[in-house]
Amino acid sequence: MNTPLNRHGNILDFAISSLLRRRSKNFSLLVVYTLIVFVIASLIFFVQAMKREAGLLLKEAPDLVVQRMIAGRHDLIPDRYKEQIGAIRGVTAVTPRLWGYYYDQVFGANYTLLVPEQKLVEPGSILIGPGVARNQRIQVSDMLTLKTSSNAPLLLTVQGIYPSSSELISSDLIVLSAEDFQAMFNLPAGYATDLAVTVANPQEQTTIAAKIAEQFPDTRPILKSEILRTYDALFEWRGGMMVVILFVAVLSFIIFAWDKATGLSAEERKEIGILKSIGWETSDVLLLKFWEGIVISLTAFLVGVVLAYGHVFLFSATLFEPALKGWSVMYPHFKLTPVIDVYQLTILFALTVLPYTAASIIPAWLAATVPPDAAMRS
Amino acid sequence: MKRLRRLIPAVFFCLSLSLSTAFAAPVPVPSPSAKDKCPVCGMFVAKYPDWTTTMTFKDGSTLFFDGVKDFFTFFHNMNKYAPGRNQTSVASATLKDYYSLKHIDARKALFVLGSNVYGPMGKELVPFEKASDARAFLRDHRGKKVLRFEEITPALLKSLE
Repeated sequence: MNTPLNRHGNILDFAISSLLRRRSKNFSLLVVYTLIVFVIASLIFFVQAMKREAGLLLKEAPDLVVQRMIAGRHDLIPDRYKEQIGAIRGVTAVTPRLWGYYYDQVFGANYTLLVPEQKLVEPGSILIGPGVARNQRIQVSDMLTLKTSSNAPLLLTVQGIYPSSSELISSDLIVLSAEDFQAMFNLPAGYATDLAVTVANPQEQTTIAAKIAEQFPDTRPILKSEILRTYDALFEWRGGMMVVILFVAVLSFIIFAWDKATGLSAEERKEIGILKSIGWETSDVLLLKFWEGIVISLTAFLVGVVLAYGHVFLFSATLFEPALKGWSVMYPHFKLTPVIDVYQLTILFALTVLPYTAASIIPAWLAATVPPDAAMRS
Repeated sequence: MKRLRRLIPAVFFCLSLSLSTAFAAPVPVPSPSAKDKCPVCGMFVAKYPDWTTTMTFKDGSTLFFDGVKDFFTFFHNMNKYAPGRNQTSVASATLKDYYSLKHIDARKALFVLGSNVYGPMGKELVPFEKASDARAFLRDHRGKKVLRFEEITPALLKSLE
């Protein structure tokens, strides 16, 4: 049977056996190729997953946060601002929030202290994140001692530990009651860390922010969209830093691949000559080279992408850790939720598979147009 | 004459009362599915929840619009968009108050014309439940006029295109 499909099958068969004949050359090419795809795809997966994580985190964030500023620094905001901001048209609710950071000198770690909007714990009890539990080696119903700002010890009983699935958010978290928070930092009554403002209509947010800034010149309203933009920029920058390093790697790969794919050896030229003399047409030779290119680049692409997926989502991007670890001592052990951006993968495909395939066809086409006897003799 | 003038608001009040009884109170307001399109512009309504406007007919069916402008365009030209229906077959109509985003009765709403707030279809009549809100919005967003339901005419809609 000589169907078109059969013809492709036979040529593919021939292409694979001809690739296997030059095993070491093609294998090293495949390894380098796969590595490049792996690193780029890892980066794509990682940045996408982090963006998604941040997006989810910020979904719960208030539409608008109002901070009080004194001499350009964040200061406590008086509760009476709440009524006046609540009276602005379009504001649904204003909630004072209490939160802050605490540095534990003994364990050398920073904790985030947070008073929940709804009362979750009684005074004297706390809920802690898994990072805190690991760091302090404490369990449920154990006691945790924090030092207040007046240097007195504050004893708190652990009522619960957050599950490790929420580690990215809750790792260094200590949830406590408003009374304990006030005792902890010697906070004057009637003050909050900041105000969370809920706005029903997103279109009205900027107007409300402008009104707050005008009515209270000592405050700084922060829009959720601004926070989102900052996060985006941060990830773009982190990603950008990696891209610079990658750029050098990709460039060296391009030179390498170009050299391998374009420079036909005398042996390959001769081979094309023989194929033509035994009755292969130019189109068949091109098809052969096309399949050779596809086999190498598609294998590298698929293997690289699969490895990158495993690296990022199963091993939490272990290789990127040095570049991403921040100031926090308690770096959370977290697992990223798989996100695949088809658009970016398509671009990666177009940038790796297509040029390589093209680069392997063009020189073959030039060789195949030469008369077979001339090709064999050269 | 003076007494007559004093009577004008009262007359208006009675008029608006009688008109509002034409549209029964809208409870509960249906929400658009992902497939519902605006009968005027053909855009999917569910994408713009802040601008959703509804019109429920006496036979129980409901149409959704992606803005007040399209709602009025439809209302004033039902022959074109929904042959066989007319203004008397409308049981209730709702739109969303700009500040609270709650459904309000279209008949009782106030509309601000010429503001710098745009809807999915460009220039819009921005709806409010309270007159004080409408006036404040007019100030904040450089609106031109506060209008009532009856004051919105096809000629005025033409100017919004």
